[in-house]
Amino acid sequence: MIWLTWRQQRTETLIAILVLALVTAVLVPTGLHIASVYDHDGIGGCLAHPTGTCTERLDAFAGRWDSLSSLTGWFNLLPGLIGALLAAPLVLELERGTFRLAWTQSITRRRWLTTRLALLVGAAVAFSLLLTLLMSWWRDPLDAVDGRFQNGFDFEGLVPTAYMLFAAAVVLAFGVVLRRTAAAIGLGFAAFFALRIGIEGWVRQHYVAPVHKTWTGGELPGRILISPADALLRTAWVLNRGSGFSATRGHRPDPSIVESCIKNASTRGFERTCLAQHHITEYEYAVYQPASRFWLFQAIEAGIFVALSLALLGFAIYWIRRRLS
Amino acid sequence: MTVIPAVQTHALGKRYGSRWALRDCSLAIASGSVTALVGPNGAGKTTLLHLLIGLSEPSAGEVRVLGWSPREQPQVVLPRVGFVAQEHPLYRGFSLAEMLNVGRKLNAHWDEGLARERLARLDIPLGQKVHRLSSGQQAQVALTLALAKRPELLVLDEPVAALDPLARREFLQSLMEAVAEGGLTVLLSSHIVSELERVCDHLVILAAGGVRLAGSIEQILASHRLLVGPRVDPDGVAREHQKHAVIQESHTERQTTLLVRLNGHEVDARWRSDDVGLEEVVLAYLGQQSMRRTEPERDLTEVAS
Repeated sequence: MIWLTWRQQRTETLIAILVLALVTAVLVPTGLHIASVYDHDGIGGCLAHPTGTCTERLDAFAGRWDSLSSLTGWFNLLPGLIGALLAAPLVLELERGTFRLAWTQSITRRRWLTTRLALLVGAAVAFSLLLTLLMSWWRDPLDAVDGRFQNGFDFEGLVPTAYMLFAAAVVLAFGVVLRRTAAAIGLGFAAFFALRIGIEGWVRQHYVAPVHKTWTGGELPGRILISPADALLRTAWVLNRGSGFSATRGHRPDPSIVESCIKNASTRGFERTCLAQHHITEYEYAVYQPASRFWLFQAIEAGIFVALSLALLGFAIYWIRRRLS
Repeated sequence: MTVIPAVQTHALGKRYGSRWALRDCSLAIASGSVTALVGPNGAGKTTLLHLLIGLSEPSAGEVRVLGWSPREQPQVVLPRVGFVAQEHPLYRGFSLAEMLNVGRKLNAHWDEGLARERLARLDIPLGQKVHRLSSGQQAQVALTLALAKRPELLVLDEPVAALDPLARREFLQSLMEAVAEGGLTVLLSSHIVSELERVCDHLVILAAGGVRLAGSIEQILASHRLLVGPRVDPDGVAREHQKHAVIQESHTERQTTLLVRLNGHEVDARWRSDDVGLEEVVLAYLGQQSMRRTEPERDLTEVAS
């Protein structure tokens, strides 16, 4: 049965390996480059002892990889793609009716199903772990500077594996009902991305109530060189940040006074004095998830996707064992 | 030693949603027989065969194959039963050597020699890919895989439906050869009656989800007559009905023709009594079904699932 499963998944497994090889071919040279620049510019030292020009150097380093880093956004497709690819042979077997051949040999349907699903899940976990390791290695220097919560969350830790399992499970669940491979992959993909986008965009930030923090006494907006917020927020997942003016006792300041203070200002010192005269203070605020919550969020999100995958797999198992003939 | 029927069903039924694909089917298939299961598309043939092989679970009644429940004891039933599903599915991308490997890996009892010898006789090279084979060859390969299990019961679902007449003949020929080697009970479904007579010795007619007629072909032919005589009115037909079962009646202005099943009564002298062919009998029973359809029409399209 293991031989048969392998023989049936062979093509898809090789395609998945090829995709991973392509990804590796892109990530390894660029990753080595990033790491060498990191060493050359002394970024590690800067992070340990932020002195002098460190802020500029850190910003320059982070900014340098912006376009490359945003390209890796495409890699969000990979768990869905490989998951669907791995589920496809099983759906194809249902579409073509060859399951009736397999189920009427001497092995039981239960054994057939156990072997197929074990190898499917095993392959999905193996591929996603490889992908996670690769991406984590590649992002390591970037994460050291900017943290992994903001840009690395989807590629590191537990969630890629959960995503890939979910993609395979959702394609399989559509597949057992529809018994049409193309339709199952299409609908499975749609469901996969709808859920990914929905959770990433609207749900993830609420796993734990974000931290609201306000700083006063910093420099004025637009001219900030280093704010007390930066060191903390650099590695956090910042949901919202900005600055404003407040009058004493929480009243809203008169905009015209603020405007006149800023417009007439010739020096920064004067601005603050001018505002202080009118009992107006400037503040900065941030709403964020601190970096320390990374693993908690990973566990919650992976838990959601794994639970959904198990539910879908359970449904597929029920359908295959009871409804198919 | 009591002989266990190869297949026995009692009040067997299968429902899909609110629709019965098979209902109240009681049937016994004698060990060693070659039985044709005939009926129009949608009669429930596939449903019945899937219940026998354990592919689906009965909604009502009981089924025993070689004395066991195919659903409860698959590990006992499956090794002893060979099955060729409709459209004889095979793994398209596999070579024949790989197909044989499938059989070897998935069956504890596997006669590799028989499989290879059959394929050699059919002149199908082992290196050939399945999807390069003709439909007839694929059917033969599927039969080979089923036979190499050395089954006691061989179940074939519409094995010749998709084949051209020549391939059909060849397929039935090689089936007959397998039967001739002995020890094999065969149940095959078909909506094509011609040629079955050469292969089969028993017949089951299934229509609209129920058994209409079952028995040995010899008996069936002996007990059915075509009565031709002067025209009679419906009362006359009804009178005749008390003696024989009238399966089909047709009238012209002067003449009445009845296809009847004799229930031990003599045929009236005013009727000319003719032999009737198997195909006519089958068609008469199937026609009877559509004629008598007074109950609200049920959707009984054959479902493969």
